[in-house]
Amino acid sequence: MKQSPDQSDLMKNFSPSKFSAGGFLGTDTRTIGEIISADLKVLEKNDIEKEALAGTLQSWYDRAKAAMGGETEIAPGVTAMYHEARGKIPSPFRGEGTFEKGDVVLREASSGKEVVLTCLSIHLIRAHGFFQGKGQRFRVDPADIIDIIKRTGTQ
Amino acid sequence: MTQNLWMNILLSIGFLAALGTVLSVLLILAEKKILNYGECLIDINDGKKTIPVQGGSSLLSSLSENEIFIPSACGGRGSCAYCKVQVKEGGGMIGPVETPSLSGDEIKNNIRLSCQVKVRSDIFISIPDEIFSVKHFTGKVVHKKPLTHDIIELKIALTKPENIDFTAGQYLQIETREYKGREQVSRAYSLSSVPSDTRSVELIIRKVPEGISTTWVFDHLKEGDPVNFSGPYGDFRLSDTDSPVVFIAGGSGIAPIWSMLRDMKEKGIARTAYYFFGALSQRDLFFLDELRSLEEELGWFTFIPALSHEPDNSGWEGERGLITDVVRRCLPDLNGFEAYLCGSPGMIDACIKVLTESGIPEENIFYDKFA
Repeated sequence: MKQSPDQSDLMKNFSPSKFSAGGFLGTDTRTIGEIISADLKVLEKNDIEKEALAGTLQSWYDRAKAAMGGETEIAPGVTAMYHEARGKIPSPFRGEGTFEKGDVVLREASSGKEVVLTCLSIHLIRAHGFFQGKGQRFRVDPADIIDIIKRTGTQ
Repeated sequence: MTQNLWMNILLSIGFLAALGTVLSVLLILAEKKILNYGECLIDINDGKKTIPVQGGSSLLSSLSENEIFIPSACGGRGSCAYCKVQVKEGGGMIGPVETPSLSGDEIKNNIRLSCQVKVRSDIFISIPDEIFSVKHFTGKVVHKKPLTHDIIELKIALTKPENIDFTAGQYLQIETREYKGREQVSRAYSLSSVPSDTRSVELIIRKVPEGISTTWVFDHLKEGDPVNFSGPYGDFRLSDTDSPVVFIAGGSGIAPIWSMLRDMKEKGIARTAYYFFGALSQRDLFFLDELRSLEEELGWFTFIPALSHEPDNSGWEGERGLITDVVRRCLPDLNGFEAYLCGSPGMIDACIKVLTESGIPEENIFYDKFA
């Protein structure tokens, strides 16, 4: 799909930069709009609002952060561990301010599947329904998260 | 017919887009070439320093050209929000790029992002006095010593200038080099060396997965390599009182505390001091021998390492539990104390809660938050 100058400019903010080593799109070749649209369809299919999902992720993030680096069980079979990092990272949607760095790695024991949460990634889901591109370490794949929520009954 | 209509629509959109681009370019050129703001004065800290500059550039770059280095990590794009200064007069309106990075109190106090403020007339600003002593340095890596599985100590000998003056607790901004397509970036690291060593600096750095700067330090920077950095920055420092002190830090957060403790020893500052070193397990502890021998040597110093996730059967005989619980258990009454903390925002916030509940007023809690 051909992109307008505005979209192309926006894409620059999502590419690898001084703040994000891998950018926000990973190896995904789709436009931001296409990524958002496809991921929101997954939410819609499962009757979950992006704001509610972001709320659940935020509560997991906060619980892991309170454990100060220790592994904590956020649901049966799912652990979370907070990793500190110095500094702040701006939203790729300019004009939204900066977000503290540090991440929480969710790990599902049975599958070994991992999902990485950050303050920024939760904001991007809540504000834009943007879960980041495939192949990006910080992508929060909605299908994976919904799977965890359903199997653990945490929402 | 329909084909002609679509062609006309596309041509119109193309024409409007081209016109918009041309007008934007003309405006930028006009700002740069046609508008001449002449010489403007930057008055710093009520006349403490006055700098004449050619108007039209950003406040950040105008200051930097005059060797006044405000911390910045984004290169003046208005995205890192590190370059805040107080603009008392002459800064113009707050721009839309700035607002999301400023709190209500900051806006009320005329705090601005200096990279977004254009010097178009005389301008009056206020910055911390420490900024005047910030310099750009080049140095050479002396050693990269592993301290744990994910933390190293980096020692850099200064080459130009050859000496640095800093206060224990301050930090530097290291400039990485480009590698594997990654842009050059600046990142802040606290100094762990003692201020009396003016010929070299030491930093304690934890590896951040996919972190641009720490990946460069861990995987690309070698002993003998040149390094550029600026500093010293920051106002995290030991107060000038006799109050007893509680230090709390773990991981790379130990850096400023390690500097302060040894500085206290060298200067004979014998304030009662406790250092709570929080870690997950024994593999995350370091400098144990050094801290224990400091404890033996200095009658006023007590070292308390505490582990939150150490296996029960490991033989660890020290304190166990979250650092907040250990502090509460060991020192339930902290009336009259000052506290110095370094670490993640979550750790700092949790510690502040415990410390205030134990009797330290918030104004006596000093911290270097990783934010």
